[in-house]
Amino acid sequence: MSATGIGAAVRRKEDFRFITGSGQYTDDVVRPGETRAAFVRSPHARAKIKSLDASAAKKMPGVVAVLTGADLANDKIGNLICGWMIHSKDGTPMKMAPHPAIASGTVNHVGDAVAVVIGETLAQARDAAEKVKVDYEVLPAVVDPAKAQAAGAPQIHADIAKNTIYQWHLGDAKATAAAFAAAKHVTKLDIINNRLVPNAIEPRAALAEYDVGTDHMTLWNTSQNPHVARLVISAFVGMTPEHKLRVIAPDVGGGFGSKIFIYPEEVVCLWASRKVRRPVKWTAERSESFLTDAHGRDHVTHAELALDAQGKILALRAKTIANLGAYMSTFSSSVPTYLYGTLLSGQYDIPSIYCEVDAVYTNTAPVDAYRGAGRPEATFVVERLVEVTARQMGIDPAECAGATSSRRSRTRRR
Amino acid sequence: MPAVSMTVNGKAVTGDVEARTLLVQFLRENLRLTGTHVGCDTSQCGACVVHVDGIASKSCTLLALQCEGAKITTIEGLAEPGGALHPMQEAFRENHGLQCGYCTPGMIMAALDIVRRRGNDLDEHTIREQLDGNICRCTGYHNIVKAIAAGAKAMAKGGTRQAAE
Repeated sequence: MSATGIGAAVRRKEDFRFITGSGQYTDDVVRPGETRAAFVRSPHARAKIKSLDASAAKKMPGVVAVLTGADLANDKIGNLICGWMIHSKDGTPMKMAPHPAIASGTVNHVGDAVAVVIGETLAQARDAAEKVKVDYEVLPAVVDPAKAQAAGAPQIHADIAKNTIYQWHLGDAKATAAAFAAAKHVTKLDIINNRLVPNAIEPRAALAEYDVGTDHMTLWNTSQNPHVARLVISAFVGMTPEHKLRVIAPDVGGGFGSKIFIYPEEVVCLWASRKVRRPVKWTAERSESFLTDAHGRDHVTHAELALDAQGKILALRAKTIANLGAYMSTFSSSVPTYLYGTLLSGQYDIPSIYCEVDAVYTNTAPVDAYRGAGRPEATFVVERLVEVTARQMGIDPAECAGATSSRRSRTRRR
Repeated sequence: MPAVSMTVNGKAVTGDVEARTLLVQFLRENLRLTGTHVGCDTSQCGACVVHVDGIASKSCTLLALQCEGAKITTIEGLAEPGGALHPMQEAFRENHGLQCGYCTPGMIMAALDIVRRRGNDLDEHTIREQLDGNICRCTGYHNIVKAIAAGAKAMAKGGTRQAAE
């Protein structure tokens, strides 16, 4: 192997700054006159905000401003969005509940922001955040996706019955049913793909700077996709026209999907920076990350596999309840639909598949793409089905379902 | 606000801190040494590891005032003034021991402490056990372990210091 050219090892260009501690992650960036933000967050999964009193907090040392959901609404800042339209079986569009960057009427998950304190120092902002008095009327909450559609479950969002966002399907229901009717063996499985918290080691952060002289805004953000952030924050949230917003993703300490989405915090930092006319920086604490970073997975699935007497798969069907959390995150709708249902064949030759997915709201952190996004969920379903089938039918999982034999026979026919 | 004085990477420094200011905050915000990172709020992740009087310590769990008079070494203090990297740093680069780089300063500082306590001939089991206080979410640890074993060996040879690229 030569030192250069084809076959030579290529060293990464970025390693030098990381191994010497001279990287520039978002929290490392400092702007002159920078203020620090601390959010006041709901300790309840679901509650009505009866009143909010920031008067004591505003008098604390170093406090530049205390801003609420009402202030945000008054300034006509738009809501966060889910950008991927999914239609239900009956053709109706998904039911996207309003998602303001700071809650003002009700809070819908533990960690839902109700106010933000802008302070000269982080310690001062945090001290003042503790002095914001919020009077909550605690409401019944539902956190289990399997219970979200039950009669009597609390309805989280107005006009969204049974907390159901969409009822989607993919595949040929009739052909699949026929294959199951003709099957010699049917495997049935109820599985849970539990919720995961991505936990990149670098917590999320946003540093927003409004330039008074030009009316332009700059956002340093732990984003996996600054162009998407720029588009969503300008065109959909309506913060400022796109040409007046610059989004910079400096060094980012891991994301795994969780830093794809456009979150309330960067919207609030931009808005607050324009209001106080100074840079505003926010960095999540780890506990805050657990509460507010988009979570992954959270599927409850009933799955079935139909086989002939030799163990060749005839059909697969799955009914999944996908928990999307309290609000629809930026790409959330796509994950348990097109990134999941289309992957259920795995590496097997499966002539018929029918997949139904109900996406539901619960009073939990929003769920979105995470490290595989829908595909690990599909893989889990099909591989568990094959594994259980093999044990039930007494065959080797590797030989099961004609996986190798059908591929070999297709090759020979060529 | 009380003042605190210490030596950091060979330089005497002084700053005004609150009683509750953590060492990691003093390093990052007062001294602008941002190579030491904060990754958790439970002392578990190890991204904040520095050396305090020669011993690996989690700077998120020390108050700045506790370090009055101490000698601190951070990741920024490892390379030679001329730019030549420490063999342990070089080993991380050579062995692809990092991806996002956020846990890396803590890993390198912890690694040096493993060598101090366990010597230069480190087996995989020892390294994995001794890294219990450092978390990485990117790499799966495999190449970090390889890097530390290689760096430890290189340190025994007196360390071939290569110029920074």
